[in-house]
Amino acid sequence: MTRLYLYGITHPREVPQRLRDQGVFLVEDDGRAAIVSELDEGPVEATRRNLLAHADVVEQLHEDGVVLPARFGYVLESRDEALELLGLPEVDELLERHEQTCELTLRGKYEESVLGEVGAGLQPLRDAYRAQPSVEIGIALGEAVGEALADRRARDEAFVLGALRPLLLDLVPGNPAGEFAAFDLALLVERNAVKTVEAKLEELAARLSPPLHFKLVGPLPPYSFVRLALPAVA
Amino acid sequence: MQRESSAGYITRAPRSSGLADVLEILLDRGLVLDAYVRVSLVGIELLTIDLRVVIASVDTYLRFAEAVNRLDLRQVDDSKSVPDLFEKGGEEMAETKTKGAVEGGMDAIKEKIGLGGGKDDDDEEEGSRSRSRGRSNDR
Repeated sequence: MTRLYLYGITHPREVPQRLRDQGVFLVEDDGRAAIVSELDEGPVEATRRNLLAHADVVEQLHEDGVVLPARFGYVLESRDEALELLGLPEVDELLERHEQTCELTLRGKYEESVLGEVGAGLQPLRDAYRAQPSVEIGIALGEAVGEALADRRARDEAFVLGALRPLLLDLVPGNPAGEFAAFDLALLVERNAVKTVEAKLEELAARLSPPLHFKLVGPLPPYSFVRLALPAVA
Repeated sequence: MQRESSAGYITRAPRSSGLADVLEILLDRGLVLDAYVRVSLVGIELLTIDLRVVIASVDTYLRFAEAVNRLDLRQVDDSKSVPDLFEKGGEEMAETKTKGAVEGGMDAIKEKIGLGGGKDDDDEEEGSRSRSRGRSNDR
């Protein structure tokens, strides 16, 4: 029996030729469709190529219609299992909820000059370190800088969120990775509100940059907003 | 496909432009289908490990200390632009000297926790002292 790799769920429609060439097709059932491709035996390898291919499929299809993206790595054992999945009432609810939504990921990152700013209040320690650049004083100064940077992060994140919140349908904060990362936010917005968010971000950048840089990715399918504990299938 | 806007302070990408953009959302977000097989995934550890940076490390603190010294703002009260910060801060702080001290500090720490870095310390005072301590403990 053919196993099917699951990319996500959408409404029945034409799959672009580029994706069909990669073996992507739909298993359809009454207004709902599973986005799948056939899969050989064996584990799914979380390689760069496979992860980006998954993202490419759901993002391409999301450009002209709702897509509920699946988490990477789900495999259906048969076409019947795909139909069973599509029959769950939660699927209809989610398709309806996200008909006009998209996700934007917003990452904030500081340039190194932020250390000069947050360190401005640490003059005694800085003087001590300059007079005697020992490991002990260096660590004490570095820890104090780290704390001041954490405060700065919290303040900037609150400010950014305060400004964006009126435009958001929902929000999922992530874990910023890296010592100069400020925040990592998944934003759910109406598709037609993306331009407004961009304009608001320009305003925020005028006030916070430098040292804060923004990276805005999207419109993406609502990866972070399709969490539903689907019940076990009999 | 990325572009810069607002004097380069906003990077804009309409689609995921690299693994860093999608790794977390693909592995931690998306539809969770507990009833179905999430077939054993190979390679996750390798992909995630380099994105998880340990912040509270001695190494980080010492780099912060060195940078905050280099980026001293006191003498730069007429301007806060980044080029000024780097130029003036760098000139006045005798950067190489500070850096040398920090690196020396790291060597000392690595030695304490047994990470000599593979170099033999025969010609260094510090190394021979710790060896003689070791011998006296053996007795």
